[in-house]
Amino acid sequence: MSKRQWLWSLRLGAAALLLSFSAMSAEPANQINSDACMKCHKRNGQMLGHHGQDAMKMSCSSCHGEKGDHPKKPNDMVVFGMQEASDLPVQLRVCQKCHTKKKLSEADWTHNVHAKKVPCAACHKLHSPTDPMADMTLKVRSELCSSCHTGKQE
Amino acid sequence: MENSKRRFLKGTCALLAGASGASLLATVNASGSVKAEPDVKYALIHDETKCIGCRACEVACREVNNVPEGVTRLEIKQAGPFGEYPNQFYHFSRKSCQHCEDAPCVNVCPTGAAFIDKQTGIVSVDAWKCVGCQYCIAACPYQVRFINPVTRAADKCDFCRETNLAQGKQPACVAICPTKALVFGNLKDPTSEVVQVLRSNPTQRAKVDLGTRPKLFRIVAKSGEVTL
Repeated sequence: MSKRQWLWSLRLGAAALLLSFSAMSAEPANQINSDACMKCHKRNGQMLGHHGQDAMKMSCSSCHGEKGDHPKKPNDMVVFGMQEASDLPVQLRVCQKCHTKKKLSEADWTHNVHAKKVPCAACHKLHSPTDPMADMTLKVRSELCSSCHTGKQE
Repeated sequence: MENSKRRFLKGTCALLAGASGASLLATVNASGSVKAEPDVKYALIHDETKCIGCRACEVACREVNNVPEGVTRLEIKQAGPFGEYPNQFYHFSRKSCQHCEDAPCVNVCPTGAAFIDKQTGIVSVDAWKCVGCQYCIAACPYQVRFINPVTRAADKCDFCRETNLAQGKQPACVAICPTKALVFGNLKDPTSEVVQVLRSNPTQRAKVDLGTRPKLFRIVAKSGEVTL
């Protein structure tokens, strides 16, 4: 009787230990999120997307550039997006370091026609766990087109 | 005596004039209702210079007309890219019923399921009359007909005749188009937008040499179009 109790407690203990280990290993997320930038950018800097995985060996500066004078302005940091962002060619150059024109063109035809006109971040979001451009239904996709292309077209 | 005679004559004359006037009006009315030509004839223009290939029209058509997945009443065909990266462009053309005035599908239909609506000129299908022989599918030079897997009848674009048009709205594809690349309207109304656009733009129709007299017009996009 006491032996059985002892065995059960051992099993429970082992299970608890395993669980705690797995929880711990899940907790300190990807390397990129322990970057020095996180000291200030904890709230708006979490990198949860595909580009944040350790295997990519990326840091914040891989895309955003070296810190330089930041947070003083002006600085050389690259800011992605449409508003209050870096110039379009600067943004494009960063993404095109890895994403070659050929690959972009093969992935989707819309890359070809927007190549000079909008930054990648106008549609793609890298910090969120999933890119909104992945697995879109045709309806969502056409609505996204309409969100910019309304009224008269060139 | 004299007075009453005059009154009688006056009265008769008035009666005669009234009667002849009424009969005249009646004949005018009759000729009006006999008039053979209806005053609505719908047509559609696809302005390829405005189309961005978003395919919102395909989605809207499917939703409004309950078209099952796997078949479609309307398709945007894409060609390209033309030019060198990053200065590239594509061409988009619409593939859907052309609403021929002399429609081969209607001419071959053995049951009368395929018909041209005399009031609007729309080529349509009475699903309950269709026996699914697919003769119309073979006959259509534009290859826009298909068998609807749910109704088992031949199906195709009918300018939303039974859905949006019946509710006084524009066809689904026209209403949804973000760049206003589709113009729908009455060819018989000289003030309609469709007539204005046709008058002010060079347009093309597909396979006119077959004598089908299609009513789907296209405003052709810029160069780079040569496809054989």
